[in-house]
Amino acid sequence: MVLRVFDPTHEMKMAGTQPAPRLSTLRGKTVGFISNGKEGTKRYFTELERILRDDIGVADVVWRTKSNYSAPADAHIVDEARQWHAAVTGVGD
Amino acid sequence: MDAATRSTLNSKFYDVDDFAAAQEFYHSNGWTDGLPIVPPTDKAVEACLEWALMPPDQLIGIEPVRAQPITAEKLAINAVMAGCLPMHFPIVATAWQAMMREEFLLHGVTSSTGGCAVLVIINGPIRLEIGANATFNALGNSDRATSVIGRAIRLALINLMDVRPGGIDRTTLGHPGKFSYCLAEDEEDMDWQPLSTMRGIPEGLSAVTVMAALAPRQIMNEWTRDPKEILETFAAEMRANQRHYSIYGGNYAIVIPKQLRDIIQAAGWTKRDIAEFIHERARVRRGEWADVGKGAIVRDRPDKIHTALDSPDHLLVIAAGGPAGGFGAVIPPWMGSKTKAVTAAIGACVDCEPPKG
Repeated sequence: MVLRVFDPTHEMKMAGTQPAPRLSTLRGKTVGFISNGKEGTKRYFTELERILRDDIGVADVVWRTKSNYSAPADAHIVDEARQWHAAVTGVGD
Repeated sequence: MDAATRSTLNSKFYDVDDFAAAQEFYHSNGWTDGLPIVPPTDKAVEACLEWALMPPDQLIGIEPVRAQPITAEKLAINAVMAGCLPMHFPIVATAWQAMMREEFLLHGVTSSTGGCAVLVIINGPIRLEIGANATFNALGNSDRATSVIGRAIRLALINLMDVRPGGIDRTTLGHPGKFSYCLAEDEEDMDWQPLSTMRGIPEGLSAVTVMAALAPRQIMNEWTRDPKEILETFAAEMRANQRHYSIYGGNYAIVIPKQLRDIIQAAGWTKRDIAEFIHERARVRRGEWADVGKGAIVRDRPDKIHTALDSPDHLLVIAAGGPAGGFGAVIPPWMGSKTKAVTAAIGACVDCEPPKG
């Protein structure tokens, strides 16, 4: 007996989001860190900043911390990020 | 379906050979919680929509962070999969409306490593209509209605918000409430006001409250008839949560079954009295963290007092559970006050605002 059953998911994905063009180099660029404020981010970002500055030669590293670790970045951080060449953000504790 | 609600379903459909084939099809697509599902046929889905008087494309709400629209049709498909009958669907839809309120922080609570589930508490006449059992096994498999309603919540999260383990859902541990976490309040056997009324819904209306919740922590105190001593045990469990898990204040729920409830009620205590007592007693000194291996984060504020509740209003007191046993339950929040419990009337708009965004 054939059953006709329906899709429980969103079939249409959101349009309009494309990855930013990839940088050919990080040398001389400004990189922003968007931290969720958790304890584990400090050592990680400290070491990452050292690598970026000493080994790769970025122009600047900007640290910003979200006001709520489980909500998207605050609007002012998103606005500021437009001035960066690259951003590091993600999930972690 | 009458003319006012007649509409064809808009979702993509698939033809599968039989019930068993439907299982493998849905499992292989990642559309289940690991348990068998009820195949969502058009007849079953349309029956839910007809019962709720909703056209398929009715917008239940928009999840604010990802701007994800949730339609009645998609919610009904997931509700059918969970095993919901049409009479269960209005509760599922209302729970989702409440979950999409900005203060609930739906994206945050469902993606977090903290691993909470959505606790759903049902009040009002609808409990009796659907056969929800607020007594034995209130926090377990008490009845068909609460089991499938809770499950529908989770399936819709999986399928409509991609809340899958390792995907959007970064939960480290989680708890069994992520299968289903729904109970009804035992309004017929209490002197108190229903939870929904305490939270602003006019008495007599059916309502649902949603809370981002950790697993229940069972307490026991059957050796006293003093309400303060009984409630001190609840408060002690809340203090333990503050020490062992999160010190920050938020919505806590406490479930008081009949044996303890009768003692507290006989002494004339109202839910407000309970909340005020718990608010005073459920608090810890930050320095206590050092006793449980967390000395590193006490820092220079060992004497700072942290309350489990920012105010007595943040305690959800729920009358439920079987008739015997000096047990109770404390249900902690996901994480402090970053999320707030939301209560919504079913089938009535008590405080309507246009959808945001």
